[in-house]
Amino acid sequence: MNSVITLTLPGDIRFSRLASQTASNTASLFTDTCNAGAGNWEFSHAFELAVSEAFTNAVNYGDRMQGTRNITITFTIEQRKLTVAIRDANAPFSAETPEPDIETYPEHGYGLMLIRTLMDTVTICRENGENVITMTKQL
Amino acid sequence: MTITETLSSGITIVELCGTIDASTAPELQRHQAISDPTQTIVIDLARLDFLDSSGLGAIIGAARRKEESGANMLLSCMNQKVRRVFDITGTVRLFHIFDETAAAIDYATTLRKSQ
Amino acid sequence: MKTLIAIKEADCAWMRETLPDTHPLLAPLCNKPFVEYLIDFAILAGCREIRLLSDGPLSQIEEYCSNGSRWGIELTYSNLHPSDEEQELLRKNRKFCDTGRTIILSGYNFIDYDKTLDYRSLASIDSAGAIASCPGGSITLAGPPEPSLTDQPLPPVGLTPVDDLKSYCRIAMTTLETGSSRYVLPGYGGEPGCAIGRNVTISKTAQIHKPASIGNNVRILPGAVIGPSAIIGSNVIIDKGSTIKESIILDNTYIGEQLEIEGRIASKNTLIDPESGVTLAMQDPHLLAGINGGATALVLWRKIVHALAAALLLLLLSIPFAILYPLLRLRGKWQDGHSIPNAGLAESIASALSLDRYPLLPGVLTGRLAIIGSRTHENRAANHAGTDCRPAVFSYAETEAWAATESDAAIVERYHALHSTPLGDIGMTIQALINRIHYRNPT
Repeated sequence: MNSVITLTLPGDIRFSRLASQTASNTASLFTDTCNAGAGNWEFSHAFELAVSEAFTNAVNYGDRMQGTRNITITFTIEQRKLTVAIRDANAPFSAETPEPDIETYPEHGYGLMLIRTLMDTVTICRENGENVITMTKQL
Repeated sequence: MTITETLSSGITIVELCGTIDASTAPELQRHQAISDPTQTIVIDLARLDFLDSSGLGAIIGAARRKEESGANMLLSCMNQKVRRVFDITGTVRLFHIFDETAAAIDYATTLRKSQ
Repeated sequence: MKTLIAIKEADCAWMRETLPDTHPLLAPLCNKPFVEYLIDFAILAGCREIRLLSDGPLSQIEEYCSNGSRWGIELTYSNLHPSDEEQELLRKNRKFCDTGRTIILSGYNFIDYDKTLDYRSLASIDSAGAIASCPGGSITLAGPPEPSLTDQPLPPVGLTPVDDLKSYCRIAMTTLETGSSRYVLPGYGGEPGCAIGRNVTISKTAQIHKPASIGNNVRILPGAVIGPSAIIGSNVIIDKGSTIKESIILDNTYIGEQLEIEGRIASKNTLIDPESGVTLAMQDPHLLAGINGGATALVLWRKIVHALAAALLLLLLSIPFAILYPLLRLRGKWQDGHSIPNAGLAESIASALSLDRYPLLPGVLTGRLAIIGSRTHENRAANHAGTDCRPAVFSYAETEAWAATESDAAIVERYHALHSTPLGDIGMTIQALINRIHYRNPT
């Protein structure tokens, strides 16, 4: 049976830690119920990091003129798969963020690179007037 | 996040504790010893629980400005979670990373003498 | 005693060109990842704590080697700076090295060890310094000597740089010839000089000449001749009548019918001559003749059979589709091009009946798609570019339970694309439909 956990946070960067810690805890809970061993820090850290990055993106790319709106984080626990979707009702942002030019080691732009490396699948789309980034990882 | 500063053999050691993400990275950037481009420092990461790309960016930026003015930023006691962020982004090659702070201080003093 | 293994990206950048997706330390040498030879040597020298250092990403190696418990050692990972020499490495890992003896294995080099000899005297040799060196690096002892564990003198230790494909090939062949009497090599072998992995099918009329090493999930079809001196990786198919001699076939490679491969390295669709470094992308019709080579009549016959099967499926599934599609759409569970989540009864039925593929079926009637062939996932499109894949509603990979990863799936698809018959396709489609009930949401 799938379990769905939803968390709605104000679109303010002060709450980023709450988002990433919830992700980490949810992932630990998931690995525990799958009997994947408590030592599986990589899995929960992957979610902690990916959600931290995605939440920061959602806040930073929010439409500042209107004030950033709420951000909803939904975790879906399936048998061997954990999915997290992060939605914000801000103005659309382009998914075509360029990969950072690694040769010059910039200070920004590593977020999506981390997400893509850590997660199995990542989709970024605009759905019902919301920006949605959906990330999944199999155990 | 808490930042603790200590001095050993004339080298400033900055210990980072807790988490660095987009909400705390600005605080890191404002910190005097970190932002001063002429000061060589050792950053002790032993008690840093979490670092994301915002924190990584702040560290890279500060290290670059130090390097440009002839100073250095050395890292010590990186744990697995923090190392993973440096590893995936390929930014490990920018830093001198030590597995104990004392060794990093020794290295920093020899760097200072050779200048 | 402890070991530091230090590899700089610059030492092995050339290997990344041949195997772009694999870390050079995981590149197979006689079907065993390169790094394992280094670990073997450190263990023979009596080390139980090893640290791997690189100025590039190590996550792939961490995933493979983990904490080293499988070798009974403690394996840790750290980083070095491209400018670091031995002294800096010792300084940066002072806590790890502690006050004892440390062996530093630096550079992308092959250590010529013999598993029957005792290298533990490395711990007690009086003088520190390099015991072997070559242009690409060295084996260096650091720190004070430790109490002796053995009274045997140190056997000779050779160090050969692996600095291009030619040296890589030569070392792999030497390792194969020397065999498991000297090195720890993978695979089962009833007799010396021949090692065979798991899930390997060898046709009765195929020949294997020693020395040969064969990986896991390999099919060797009738009339194929393997060896002498052939290293076949994992997930490989050697098709009918082909000869592999003095060559290395890397993982996930399909070798077409009636080919003679001698003194080459084959990786996916590329043939490399290690002597000259010349590469040849195998997109020419000789290698993949079977895919396009069928007579027009066969193509037409296939299209008719596929269209009939699609029409039947369209008819059978029309009622469940008409009921479930609006339902799932309304509940937001239906996303075009995505598999259906496994929540609730309606979703389970829809997913068991493969309704997510239903909208693709009319494509078969118009001849745009085949009923079974290669699934053209966006993320797989790159792999298939240039090779003749048959875009389809169901995939051959879905008929086989072992095709868990993308590359496994790709190799299964290639095999069946070559060997299927139109009527066989229908059987495969039925199998895919049944399998999808058991292994739902494979991607």
